[in-house]
Amino acid sequence: MTTRPGTRPSAGTIFLWIVVLAVAVAAGAWVVLNAAGIIRSFWPPDPASAQGRQINDLYTIVFIIAAAIFFVVEGLIIWTVIRYRRRPGDDELPPQTHGHNLAEVVWTVVPTLIVIFLFVISWQTLNSVEATAAQPDLKVRAHAGQFQWTFDYLPANATTGTEEPVFSVTAPMAPDGGLTLPAGKTTHLFLTSNDVIHAFYVPHFLFKRDVVPGHINQFDLSIDADEAGQVFRGQCAELCGTGHRIMVFDVNAMDPAAFQAWYDQKVVEASQTPPPPASGEPGGSGAPPQGGGTVVDVTAKNVAFVEKSLTAPADQPWTIHFDNQDASTPHDVDIKDGSGAKVADNKDFPGVAAQDYQIKPLPAGTYTFFCSIHSNMTGTLTVQ
Amino acid sequence: MATTTLPRAATGYRSGLYEWVTTTDHKRIGILYIVNSFIFFFLAGILALLVRSELAQPGIQFLTDEGLYNQLFTMHGSVMIFLFIIPMLAGFGNYVVPLQIGAPDMAFPRINALSFWMLPLGGILLSLGFVTGGAAAAGWTSYTPLSEDRPLGSPGAGQDLWLMGLTLIGTSSILGAVNFLVTIFKMRAPGMTLFRMPILVWTVLVTSVLVLMATPVFTSALIMLFIDRNLGGHFFDPQFGGNAILWQNVFWFYSHPAVYVMVLPAMGMISEILPVFSRKPLFGYKAFVFATAGIGALGFSVWAHHMFTTGAVFLPFFSLMTFFIAVPTGVKMFNWIFTMWRGKLTFSTPLLFALGFLTMFLIGGINGAFSAAVPVDFALHDTYWVVAHLHYVLFGGSVFGVFAGVYYWFPKMTGRMLGEGLGKLQFAMIFIGFNLTFFPMHQLGLAGMPRRIADYASDVGWNDLNLAATVGGFLIAASMIPFLWNVFVSRRNGKVADWDPWEGNTLEWATSSPPPPYNFDRLPEIRSERPLFDLRHGRTTTHVAAIESGAAPPAPAGH
Repeated sequence: MTTRPGTRPSAGTIFLWIVVLAVAVAAGAWVVLNAAGIIRSFWPPDPASAQGRQINDLYTIVFIIAAAIFFVVEGLIIWTVIRYRRRPGDDELPPQTHGHNLAEVVWTVVPTLIVIFLFVISWQTLNSVEATAAQPDLKVRAHAGQFQWTFDYLPANATTGTEEPVFSVTAPMAPDGGLTLPAGKTTHLFLTSNDVIHAFYVPHFLFKRDVVPGHINQFDLSIDADEAGQVFRGQCAELCGTGHRIMVFDVNAMDPAAFQAWYDQKVVEASQTPPPPASGEPGGSGAPPQGGGTVVDVTAKNVAFVEKSLTAPADQPWTIHFDNQDASTPHDVDIKDGSGAKVADNKDFPGVAAQDYQIKPLPAGTYTFFCSIHSNMTGTLTVQ
Repeated sequence: MATTTLPRAATGYRSGLYEWVTTTDHKRIGILYIVNSFIFFFLAGILALLVRSELAQPGIQFLTDEGLYNQLFTMHGSVMIFLFIIPMLAGFGNYVVPLQIGAPDMAFPRINALSFWMLPLGGILLSLGFVTGGAAAAGWTSYTPLSEDRPLGSPGAGQDLWLMGLTLIGTSSILGAVNFLVTIFKMRAPGMTLFRMPILVWTVLVTSVLVLMATPVFTSALIMLFIDRNLGGHFFDPQFGGNAILWQNVFWFYSHPAVYVMVLPAMGMISEILPVFSRKPLFGYKAFVFATAGIGALGFSVWAHHMFTTGAVFLPFFSLMTFFIAVPTGVKMFNWIFTMWRGKLTFSTPLLFALGFLTMFLIGGINGAFSAAVPVDFALHDTYWVVAHLHYVLFGGSVFGVFAGVYYWFPKMTGRMLGEGLGKLQFAMIFIGFNLTFFPMHQLGLAGMPRRIADYASDVGWNDLNLAATVGGFLIAASMIPFLWNVFVSRRNGKVADWDPWEGNTLEWATSSPPPPYNFDRLPEIRSERPLFDLRHGRTTTHVAAIESGAAPPAPAGH
């Protein structure tokens, strides 16, 4: 590039170039130092299921074609911009080309062929990902509700996904909870919801499917045999309300023999445990009070307070014994006065667990107690 | 050119608030649209900064009430789309289209004023939720049954205000579309045939058809949901025999064409700017028109690609159509590049923003193709990948287009040029900030970070990328400081713009800056899509015909 004498770039231009160069140097250094990790970060997690591996293969083809198009077109833009800049003092008009029919045909036909190719290969992958085995090794219903998952293990002859489960797992996280599946086997999953739309999403399976109330979605999942012993994190992927982010769950991939032992034990447990009483046990009854004064029991179960109204003494400290029976779902008990001001702000914790909250003296009156995470969980507190 | 040969409006312009509130002049209404849209742009930008601040690090930072987090991203999306991008582009259409076709005003000036004034009213309704116990919190998509009146759904008044506000804004869009269509079909100057119209006019024409066909569907859905929530209806509530997926179908039947409503006029603006700063005509004018119409038509057959994971749509059809819509978009991209090819580029701020559009919209097009491959969409849907994609389309595309348009037409609107130094500074900041914010979201999405979560675990490897995105977000916000300062200073003290500061091609440059009421005292002859170019270079009808048939260009002559 030659600079004519007497033409100097403006201060803005110099500043721009300094910024661009600084960023380019920083970005270049960062890229070189992290090359392998960066390239890896443009792929989904290592696929852990047969379906996931097929999706990953398709992703790789799409990515390569996309990257090629990206570099060709961006390169063309950058080259054009640098090559055809207007030199200072050049007032001559460039050739006034209005178009080129052959060029238009080429850049219509070639992209059409590329997208048809992409469509065909993604359709093929789709058919194989969506295929379901006639005789899956296991049938499980994943039931989503605000804001937790329940995994119902269905009898082998289940067809609609609405059958009574052999047993259920309600705790969402490993090691005791979550969706436990045999590695190397095929599981048929039914997805049900009674409240709002959720989505079953496990990044390592490269797969998600919406959980739609009024419509049961189904698919097959075949975790690879060599993934036995691994735990994969799953999460609700469709906005489902205030607790959307806490709807996480684990998928435990087990060796088939270990899975069978776990399954048999669960069946035995289910036959031994009597069905829980409808109202839920008052979990805190046996716990000794730790603070001074009156102890008031509050129980959270199925994202609701069991007690709808509480009574506490006025003008003296008292204690809430809070029993959170919702496995892995955090709750707390906060109190606000009639004007909406928070007079007690307690820390939330996930169930199943119980804690005592010390409450400072409150003047007599009517208050609202509530869970700060679940806006539907409220009740009335009378201080007298 | 002669001046003051046509009778002026009784008193010409008077300043003052009253004049602005009662105006029916398309130029003033256009400026009102643009200013109003910028106000909502800054509001929604603040909401985005709050969202990004919360996500900067794992753990809940300051939004201890998670209902509030959901309100923030819901309102960010709703305001950006319905009160910024769509009305902003309608504002440019309002200002520029009558000028470009040589018309004195829009066909229905009072309806034009009505369409505008419904917007701030709708915007206020939408925002009122924040002071009536919580704004809408079900996402800008407001999927049912979450958006139904339920304890853990959206029980507050905010969702109803959202429905009412959007109904008003939708009605405003429909009225505006009718106005544009009648103006474009009935009020073109003599000689301005359809295929001599500037590309921006073509894109506004196609956009208006999309709005006219799609928005009433959406408005119906809004009213149905309002009935569900307030009058005991159950259209979308499966607990009472309604269908939750129906909402998604009608919502996306509007909202996918709406994506083209949000980007086609920006493409039109780019197509005005690139030729001027390349000193060449638009490459492949007719191909460009057909590509625009093709996008508009195909835009109605792809809505269910937002619903691939619902298990309730016929996947191959929508996959194929979605892939096909990449073709006319690609045609446009190549036509833009070959407009610059062998041109003589002047790097004024409008061109920089136009180049920002080209380079960033390309990414938004390519990463969209991933989701057209249905199984890949199973992995990417509702993750941050989608957030990256839509921002590369709507920010990398539309917002860069809007700023290109602001810098390009500001001299026409005010008679003053915006400062180039501050303009380039703003471009550098927003370009870097934009990529720093949204590029890492590709990797976050691939790694499995879902959208719309207020927090994430600290051990899953999302910390650095989220922090980068937050830093980028604040850089974007900081880039508004040189912009606002530039507008503030240049409006009074900027370099005085004459009629045609850029050596433009189209008719808006054939009148004073700012133009008088009713726009033109006299119009040049219109023999091609570049009447001013012909005038400047002394081209006659014979010249134009000779050039278009491929003969050598004549020697330029002064005018």
